[in-house]
Amino acid sequence: MRLCGPGVSLLLLLNLMAPVAAGAQTEKIHALLAKPKILCGRFDQTKQLAGLKKPLLSSGRFCVVADKGILWRNLRPFASTVRLTRDEIVQMQGDRVTSRLSAKEEPTVRLMNSVLFSMLAGDFSQLEKLFTVDSSVYNDHWRATLKAREPALAKALDTIAMDGGVFVSSIAIHELNGDQTRIVFSEIQTGDRAMNDDEAALF
Amino acid sequence: LSPAKFLPWFWAFVVACVAGHGAYLWWGQRLAIDTDILALLPAEQRDDGLRRAFARMVEATQQRVIVLIGADDWPAAVRAADAYRDVVAGHADLMRSASPDAEKAASDWIDTFFRHRLVLMTAEDETNLRHQSRQFWVDLALTQLYAPFTGPKWTAWQDDPFGLFANWTQARARETPVRVRQGRLFASDGGREYVVLPFVLQVPVFSVAGEQAVLAVFERAREAARDASSQAQIIEAGVVLHADAASRRAKLEISIIGIGSMIGIAVLTWAAFRSVKPIVLITVTIFIGFLGAFSVSALLFNELHIITLVFGASLIGVAEDYGIYFLCQRVGAGDRLSSWRLLYGILPALALTLGTSIIGYLGLVFTPFPGLHQMAVFSIIGLIFAWLTVVCWFPSMVRPDMVANQDALRCCDRWLRRWPILSHDRWSYLLMASFGIFALAGCLFLKPEDDVRNLQNSPQHLLDDQRTISALLDLPAPGQFYLVRGDSAETALQREETLKQRLDRLIDERRLSGYHAISNWVPSARLQTARRQLIDQALLHEDGALPTLVQRLGEDQGWIGAMRARLRESSAVLTVDDFLKANVSEPWRYLWLGRVADNQYAAIVALRGVSRDSLPALERAGAGIPGVRWVDRVGEISAVLAAYRRYMTWVLVLSYVAIFGILYWRYRQNSWRILAPTAMATIATVAFLGIAGHGIQLFHVLALMLLLGIGVDYGIFFRETSSEGDGVAWLSAGLSALSTVLSFGLLGFSRTPPLQAFGLTMAIGIGAVTLLVPCFRKRA
Repeated sequence: MRLCGPGVSLLLLLNLMAPVAAGAQTEKIHALLAKPKILCGRFDQTKQLAGLKKPLLSSGRFCVVADKGILWRNLRPFASTVRLTRDEIVQMQGDRVTSRLSAKEEPTVRLMNSVLFSMLAGDFSQLEKLFTVDSSVYNDHWRATLKAREPALAKALDTIAMDGGVFVSSIAIHELNGDQTRIVFSEIQTGDRAMNDDEAALF
Repeated sequence: LSPAKFLPWFWAFVVACVAGHGAYLWWGQRLAIDTDILALLPAEQRDDGLRRAFARMVEATQQRVIVLIGADDWPAAVRAADAYRDVVAGHADLMRSASPDAEKAASDWIDTFFRHRLVLMTAEDETNLRHQSRQFWVDLALTQLYAPFTGPKWTAWQDDPFGLFANWTQARARETPVRVRQGRLFASDGGREYVVLPFVLQVPVFSVAGEQAVLAVFERAREAARDASSQAQIIEAGVVLHADAASRRAKLEISIIGIGSMIGIAVLTWAAFRSVKPIVLITVTIFIGFLGAFSVSALLFNELHIITLVFGASLIGVAEDYGIYFLCQRVGAGDRLSSWRLLYGILPALALTLGTSIIGYLGLVFTPFPGLHQMAVFSIIGLIFAWLTVVCWFPSMVRPDMVANQDALRCCDRWLRRWPILSHDRWSYLLMASFGIFALAGCLFLKPEDDVRNLQNSPQHLLDDQRTISALLDLPAPGQFYLVRGDSAETALQREETLKQRLDRLIDERRLSGYHAISNWVPSARLQTARRQLIDQALLHEDGALPTLVQRLGEDQGWIGAMRARLRESSAVLTVDDFLKANVSEPWRYLWLGRVADNQYAAIVALRGVSRDSLPALERAGAGIPGVRWVDRVGEISAVLAAYRRYMTWVLVLSYVAIFGILYWRYRQNSWRILAPTAMATIATVAFLGIAGHGIQLFHVLALMLLLGIGVDYGIFFRETSSEGDGVAWLSAGLSALSTVLSFGLLGFSRTPPLQAFGLTMAIGIGAVTLLVPCFRKRA
């Protein structure tokens, strides 16, 4: 028994350190979130560009599938689809591909896709690698403000504000050039029935 | 003043001088030992622009070291890379980090290109502007406007409403797969994540002292990186690593060849003379030969190449010939003849052997390879010093009765009596016939081998690392590129653009993955103007896409005017000078050679993803465009090697004729008996190379030149002794040959391919000459 003594104490030490590194508040958010395998719903986006009088309003449906990626279908004011998977970003008009960017051509594709996925899924353990997260939790509702750790990114991006409960309910992006994008999520469904046939075909 | 009094003192004075100079060089560390592998390759380049272009390519790569530190996840890679970088940072005198300032990179970019953004676009967008409808551009802009996650932007939407500048920026970024991530350079192969650490050396790459210091730092940095993250994978590439490996190996080989040969000669001398004195004398001869070669070569060349020293080590096996010959003659002459008289008797033969050896080494001088010149000069001077030592000192130092032991001599005599002599008998015909078949068979298998890549001698792990890094970072080929010239910078850029159109087709056919060209960054003024007009027509004009788009967004006429003005402000022509002054151009500056002569400007177009199969297509792509020249450095050097292999083969044949002429002057109708063993040995060696599957290359032919020079000596030894003294001849020829075979045989184990080829050829050839020489004796 004496032989495994030092090994056990070392393991204990590592276990104690892990939650501290992850951040106590985001652990609570993590506990609140549902983390479904498939999540689909409606989005309403308001984009306010600096220098433009009217905000740009758009809406559509989105799906986030664990281990697969994101499907973002803009339906109004016009139809267009973006599909983000581990290795590529594909833009489509109907089922015609209009542009395709692969991780082979652009090594940051993988990184971008994983950030967006973490954002929509509310995976703060991943987000904290790139952002400092300031968060608060009230009962079953949470809020978080993200600031980029990367200096080059911080020069363009002011903050990202997120809030939600069991799911992420809105994301607001403030850029330093004055542009603002706010996306509100609603009508959220989970499980195998969440994705309709069109969406399943596009993925 | 008799020579017996004068010569020893004169020579002592000369030796004292070179010894002093040698000590000054050695202990004062005043002699630079050059380790540049390329020094063996031709220096001459008739085309001045081409020479400068190549020098620039070498300059851009030679001082650089690229280190990749990889791990399965990014944080581990970062930990290891930071530890590595911190160690290197403590040695700013040796090397500096060439990582760009990640924080400034974006603002530098904007500062340089923002004012010109209206004329910077990809060729694809240019085509679209020509052919696509107004609706296409309106839809495109709207899609981009409504896109949810456009990623961080440094410019406002109004600055680039159709994303043309963004596409151009993307395309430029795609010229390299390296990205900035958390203030570090980042690359990935899909599985592992790597931090890229570029360094620039501040010390000369090809100096032994510099190499050692730099490599020691890397060693410590590697340890630190592994301490920080135990699973870190560290890949390093840089010319300095190859140079260091080459010089380490060269040093080892110098010691092996030097010590091995010296021990061999000592043993042989002992076996022949059973006395210590001859060993001392021979060693002194060799030592003075080296001292002279070292000192005079240093005066002539200012620096010595390390390969010269490796090759020079094999000189031991040749430089002892004269001393051995003298001692053997001394044994054969009996103790009544004085040493000075003996010298007078053998002086013509000694002079002849020196002359023929020098002719052998002169073959190396007729090549355009500076490294070979140095080897030849070093060897010739070494031989002359060894020869003079024998002539000036041996008669005074060797008393007639000094070497009295005749055991070896008698042994040789006994052997020789049983050795066959070629004549008109069945045995001789059989031998000649089988030799003929062997030679014919060998020559049938013989194939030339001139590819310079086969001279590559770096350790496999360095080559593997280099390949990994080249593939991961998609680095351009250093040996193949286009040189583009014109009478103005503008002409050169326009010609580049013509070339690039053809290269784009090769990229579509997947024969090339990309190219680096200054016109990627700075289009010709003609193209910039044409693009500006195109944008005016297709986008900014009253009927263009911009007014329609702005109306869709619900803004008024005044807004359109303001936006048009804002865009037109940013159409200033970008010049090469503007670009070169900016920080962002740092990695691309080597592409622009600028003004190389009066009214001549030159640039390089470098290529990525070049395979051997695509070379002919690339050569064709450059053909027919004025001022564009395809440069295949590897192919060119291989062609030079092939040309000189053929040329030196003719020189070899002519040398046989010349040496026959010299021999005829002294030996008349017996001359063929002296030359024939060497000629047969040459044929046998070539046949052996053929059968063994070695492709014949220039260095084999050069060795055959030397074989001629030295092989003939043994024939001379035999001719110069009366028939009853054949034992003496064979003793001296045998001793010389054994030591030569030993030295060159050891050289044959060299890991530097040219030296290996040289050593192998010499060892086989000299061995064969020794066995054949007695067969061509005249029957007593």
